[in-house]
Amino acid sequence: MADDTTDSRTPPAESLNLAARQPGARVLVIDDEPEIGRAVRTGLAGAHFTVEWVPTGVEGLEQVAQWHPDVVILDLSLPDMDGIEVCRELRTWSQVPIIVLSVRDREADKITALELGADDYLTKPFGMGELIARLRVALRHAAQGAGSTGPALFRTGTLVMDFERRYVTVDGREVHLTPTEYEVLKYLALNVGKVITHRTLLHAVWGPAYDDEAHYLRVFINQLRRKIEPDPSRPRYLLTEPGVGYRLRGTD
Amino acid sequence: MAVQQPPQRYPLESPDPEAASKAETPAQWRRALSTVRSDLRELAARAFLPGERPPSPLLRYGAAVVGVALASFCIALIMSRVHIENISLLYLLVVLWLASKFGRGPAVLASVLAFLAYDFFFIPPLHRLTVGDPAEWLSLFALLATSLVLGQLTAAVQQRAREAIASERKAVASEHQAIASEQRTATLYALAQLLVTTGDASKLYAALAERVVQVFSASGVAACVLLVPDDEHLLVPEASAPDTGPLAQALSIADRNNVSEAAWAFEHGAPVGKSAHTSYTGTSANPEAHYFVPLKSGQHVVGVLGIAGSSAIRALATRTRPKSEHPGAATQNAAQVELFSAFCDQIALTLERTALRERAIHAEVLQESDRLKNALLGSVTHDLRTPLASIKAATSSLLQPGIEWSREDRRELLCSIDTSADRLNRLVSNLLDLSRLEAGVAVPIKDWYLIGDVIATVLDQLDLAGVTREHHIVLNLPQDLPLVSIDYGQIEQVLTNLIENATKYSPAGSEIRIEARVLPSSELEVRVSDQGIGIPPNELRAVFDKFYRVQHVHLPWATTRPPVGTGLGLAISANIIQAHGGRIWAESRPGEGATFIFTLPIPADHPRGTLPELDLPDEKSETAPQLASSSSSEPSARGAAKEVPA
Repeated sequence: MADDTTDSRTPPAESLNLAARQPGARVLVIDDEPEIGRAVRTGLAGAHFTVEWVPTGVEGLEQVAQWHPDVVILDLSLPDMDGIEVCRELRTWSQVPIIVLSVRDREADKITALELGADDYLTKPFGMGELIARLRVALRHAAQGAGSTGPALFRTGTLVMDFERRYVTVDGREVHLTPTEYEVLKYLALNVGKVITHRTLLHAVWGPAYDDEAHYLRVFINQLRRKIEPDPSRPRYLLTEPGVGYRLRGTD
Repeated sequence: MAVQQPPQRYPLESPDPEAASKAETPAQWRRALSTVRSDLRELAARAFLPGERPPSPLLRYGAAVVGVALASFCIALIMSRVHIENISLLYLLVVLWLASKFGRGPAVLASVLAFLAYDFFFIPPLHRLTVGDPAEWLSLFALLATSLVLGQLTAAVQQRAREAIASERKAVASEHQAIASEQRTATLYALAQLLVTTGDASKLYAALAERVVQVFSASGVAACVLLVPDDEHLLVPEASAPDTGPLAQALSIADRNNVSEAAWAFEHGAPVGKSAHTSYTGTSANPEAHYFVPLKSGQHVVGVLGIAGSSAIRALATRTRPKSEHPGAATQNAAQVELFSAFCDQIALTLERTALRERAIHAEVLQESDRLKNALLGSVTHDLRTPLASIKAATSSLLQPGIEWSREDRRELLCSIDTSADRLNRLVSNLLDLSRLEAGVAVPIKDWYLIGDVIATVLDQLDLAGVTREHHIVLNLPQDLPLVSIDYGQIEQVLTNLIENATKYSPAGSEIRIEARVLPSSELEVRVSDQGIGIPPNELRAVFDKFYRVQHVHLPWATTRPPVGTGLGLAISANIIQAHGGRIWAESRPGEGATFIFTLPIPADHPRGTLPELDLPDEKSETAPQLASSSSSEPSARGAAKEVPA
C-alpha cells in the first residue's frame, strides 16, 4: 500500500503534477528478464525514482507487503505464476498502482489486466520516456485517491473543465455539451492519463445495462470529439486505445 | 439388444419378416396408414367386383349349380306356404350374382339350369320336363331369356370395370414411380449442392449425417454416424446426427462396444450389423437395429456409415429389395434402397475428394512455407542484420574506453540505436503477423469500429516513429461514415503498411492523401495516394506478392540507397483485406504517384445511432446561470448530436 510514503501523497493544491514530480517514489519491478530489470532500474534511477527489482511473482508479492512501493511495474510472463494472477492476488489486499509491462499485445490481455485492477498497460518494446510518463500518471492518481476531494479545475492543452460550474471551454470558447457528454468527459478527466476500458466507461456513465455497447460508445465519442477537439479527425485530447478503450491525454 | 452384446459380428442372416409391419416412427405410421387405406379400397372393390385371379372353373360352375339348387329350395319352401306368381324372379337374382362374381359362363349355365329346375319342380305337371299350360311356356322362356341377357350384360359391365381398375392401378403405380424418381433427383441434387457449397470438412460431415437421417427417416433411419479413417487408418466418428439424444448415444456406444463391427465393414467392404427381434419403441435408447455400411469409392473403402433405427433399415444396409405385400410400397422401398445406395456413393466420393484436397493443401503449405523460409533466410541477412549492426556499432562505440564523446555525437549514436530498434520491432511483428495469417490463426476478431479511429491511431503511431515527419498528410473523411465490422489491429496494420509505403516512394514535402467514402455498392472505400514515382502497369498486381519489391527503383530525389523493406507489407495487407471480405488493389499514374485502395463490406445490419442521452438534471443552468451562455437555458433534453456552436 502506498500509505507510508507520505511524500507522494501531498494533496495537490494548485498543480496536479506536484505529487508526480516528487523524487524518490518507490518503484517495484517484477520481471524475470534481467536485462529489462537492469535497463528499467537505470532509466528510472536517472529520473530519480527508487527502484527495486524481483524476478518472480511470489517475491513480488512479498516485496509489496514488506517494502510498500508506490507503484508496481509487472510483467505478465513470469516463471512461477501468471502476471494476471499476481495482479488479481495483489488487488485482494492492496491498492498500489500497477503498470503492466508485457510483450503480449493482444487487446484481450490488456482488457483482462485493466479490468482486474491494473492501472495501465505498456507493450514491450517500450520507450523509457513513455514508461516514466505512465508512472507519473499512476502516482498522481494514487495521491488523488488518497484523500483530496479532487480538483475544481481540469486543464489539458486548450481544454478546460470547471467541475464546480459544469463549464467546459476549448481555446477560451465555451463548448456546449449535453449532460451525458459532460459526464463522459468528466469521468475521463478525473482519470486523466489512465486507460479507461469501454466497459468501465459505459458502466460508470450509462450503468450495467450498457456494458456491451462499445460500438455505440465509439459513435458517441466521435460526436464528443467534434465538440472538444480542434481537429476531430486527429484527436489530441480524447485518445483511442485501440480495442481497449479511451484515455484523456494530460498536459505532460 | 444389439448394443449390449459383447463385441461380435452379426453377418446378415437374420431377416425379420414380421418386423416390417411394426411401424413405429411417425413416417412409418403414415406409411402404414396409407397401406390400410388401399386395403380398404380393395376390399370395397372385391365385394362388387370379380377378384384378381378368377377361381377355378369347377368352383365357378359348381357355384352355379349350388346357387340354382339353393334358389329352387327357397322357392319350394316359400311355395309350400304361400303362392307367389313371379317367384321365378329369385333365379334372376342368382344369375345376377353369378354373372357379376364369376362372369358369363356360370351365368349362362345357371340360366339354363334355372329354366330346367323351374320347369321340373314348379310347373305342372310336376317332376317332368313337359309343360301343361302353354301360358307357362311363356313365363318359362321369359325367365330363360331374361337370365341370359342379364348375365351377359352384367358380365360385360364387370369386364369394363375390371379393366378400368387395372388401368387406374397402373396409372397410380407409374405416378408413384414418377414422384419417387423426381424426389430422388431432387434429393441427390440437394446433396450435390451441399457437397459443392460446404467447404469446411467437419461442417460438411455434420450436414451429410443430418441429411441421411432426414432423407431416410421414412425407411427407418433414426440416427446416423459418419466414421472416417484417420492418418493411422483408425476409424474416427467425424459426425453424427442427431448430435445428441439417446439414439446417437446408442450408435456411438454401439460403435465403441462393437468397434470391430465398423472396422470389419471398413476392412471387408461389406455391411455388417444387427437387427433385434424385440419390439422397438421410438423413445428407447436401444435401437431395434444398427448397421455399419462401407462407403466405397471404386474398390476402395473410404469410410463407414453407421445407421440405427427400426429393423427396416436392414433393407437399406444390405441393398436388398424388401418383401412387401403391396406392390406400391415395394416400388417405393426399392427406390429408397437405390437412393440410399446413391447417397453412399456420393458421400464416399466426397470423403475421397476431401482427403485428396487435404493432402494437396498440406503439400502446398509445405511448399509455400519452404519458399517462405528460403526467402526469409535471404532477407534476414539484410533486414535483420542491418539494424542489429547499427545497434552493435553504436553501443560498442559508446562503450569504448578512453573516448569522450561530445554531446551531439552521443546523441547521434543513441538515435541510431533507437531507430534501428524500432525497425527490428516492426520487422518482427510483420513476420509474426504473416506467419499467423498464413497458418490461418489470425482469423479477424471483428467488432464495429469507425475507420476514422483506426486512421487516427495509425497516423499518431507513425508520427511518433517519425515516419510521416517529412510528408503532408491530408485527411478527407466524411463525418457520417458508418461503423464497419473489422479487426482493429489488422486494419491498423494495413493502413500502416500503405501509408509507410507512400512515404517511402514519394519525395519529402509531397502530399499523402487519405480518403474514405461509402460506395453505392454498400462498401467503405479507403484510398491512400502519394505523389511519388508510381508503379509500372505490369507490376500493379505483383506488388501484392510476398517478398516482391518494385524492380529497378530509382528515386530521383533520393540521395541514399533505395528504400528498405521486406516486401511483406502489401502481401500481409492483401491477406487481411481478403479475410475481411474486401478488395485491395493499386492504381498508378506513372510518374505522378500511386494510389492504394481497399474496400470493406458494410453489412446491411450495421448498428446505427448512438447511446441514449441520460436523464440527468442540467445542473449547470441552476448552479451557474451567470456563466451560461444564452443558449443554455433550454431544457436538458438536448440532442446528443448537437454541434459545437461556432
